[in-house]
Amino acid sequence: MSDQPYRRYQCVICGEIYDEALGVPELGVAPGTRWEDVPDDWTCVDCGAPKSEYVLLED
Amino acid sequence: MRTKIPVELIEPAFNPATFGIGRREAIDNLFRRLRKDYPLGLAEVPGYDPHWIVTKYNDIREVTSHDSVFHSADRSKTLASQIAEKLMRDYTGGLPTIFKTLVHMDDPEHAKHRAVTQARFYPQVIAKLEPWVREKARRYIDEFIEKGPGTDFATELAFPYPAEVVLSILGFPREDHTKLLDLTHWLFCYADPDLCRPGANITDPQEIIRTWDIVYNEFKDYFLPRVLARRKCPMDDLTSVIANGEVDGCPINERNLVSYLVILATAGHDSSAATTAMTMWTMAENPALFHRIKENPQLLPGFVEESIRWASPVQQFVRSATQDYTLRGQDIKKGELVYLSYVSGNRDEEAFKDPFTFDPERKPNRHLAFSYGPHICLGQHLARLEMRVLWEELLPRLESVEMAAPGKFTESEFVCGPKSVPINFKLAKQVERAVA
Repeated sequence: MSDQPYRRYQCVICGEIYDEALGVPELGVAPGTRWEDVPDDWTCVDCGAPKSEYVLLED
Repeated sequence: MRTKIPVELIEPAFNPATFGIGRREAIDNLFRRLRKDYPLGLAEVPGYDPHWIVTKYNDIREVTSHDSVFHSADRSKTLASQIAEKLMRDYTGGLPTIFKTLVHMDDPEHAKHRAVTQARFYPQVIAKLEPWVREKARRYIDEFIEKGPGTDFATELAFPYPAEVVLSILGFPREDHTKLLDLTHWLFCYADPDLCRPGANITDPQEIIRTWDIVYNEFKDYFLPRVLARRKCPMDDLTSVIANGEVDGCPINERNLVSYLVILATAGHDSSAATTAMTMWTMAENPALFHRIKENPQLLPGFVEESIRWASPVQQFVRSATQDYTLRGQDIKKGELVYLSYVSGNRDEEAFKDPFTFDPERKPNRHLAFSYGPHICLGQHLARLEMRVLWEELLPRLESVEMAAPGKFTESEFVCGPKSVPINFKLAKQVERAVA
């Protein structure tokens, strides 16, 4: 387990935020799943954008 | 395979008046039948080019996530007759539409223009507006309650409140909002006898296009001086962002700039208004729902999301295929038109359990009311904020609510919601004491 703080990534198309701490359990992505461990074929739950359209959200 | 839908079955969906019947039951019943018997079929309605009617949730997501296959810019983005399309081309010198909004663009043009304002609509940016939006909600609620029972919730609150929010974000003063609200109705509700441009013959295609041109020019005459002023002296408003925005290193051209402001100044409030009005209508007829939400405010975010699915104000957008494409086993040919029924997708029995039940605890609730794909609604997070704040402020002040007279739906096959929701209400006791 990484001891780095959880990060958040944002879809630049629609603003949807992927929060590593929360994951998306309803779609099989468990809480605590790091962004790099999210499958490459992941698409934004809001607009369907590919993973490549997400950027790290600086808090 | 190319399955045809019987003309007599689909024809009512091409008539704006059908959408004004009751609480849109005629449309719900029509699309329920289509989802069952013709989930994707070809409509060959006389006077129109053939349209593939996409009724299923997953199919709408597939089409809207393939922007390069299903274009937005090549033909009318909304349902248009052959006569209307020809008149439009004659009128504009060959263009498919008068406006060139984000809705009417394809990539790379769409992404470049959207990027000019995109970050202003991210949820973390919109969240900072909450105290400011809440102040506006409180003022509209105060004014509404002051008018007393029997007041039309649609015209007195649901229409002007979100209009004031977005038009203020754009930097336009309150005294101009009524005019801009009227222009919105003339554009989106051109076929409704109560909301159309006064004096317009709503059955004459040439007159309809003339109305759109009048609306475009009225907007242009209003926007351009303000754009020029903001280029000289930028202000802290969204019009300044667009006025000084660049695409490929150049200012946005005039038609695209006017259209950009038009889409924000119209779609930026009209669908929120329709959803808010529909939600009040729904609660006024369902006291159990009203009391459940009032007594459980933690349900409000889910309630708002379900209200958006429930209202689904944008009925349809039309795209054209740039190549042959097989969808649900149907062979769509290059150049053919594809009609996306968002209201049908949001009632799809395979995507939503009990879709005709208003369930504030529906989860997940990934509806299509804001569309899907790169064209997803820019203002969706603002719309959610406006509605949540309104209900947070209004529900504690009401003891009960009921319809004072029958509501009325807009006769529009494009953006469709209630145009009249007269309600009676009793104030909550602590509010009565405060007033006394």
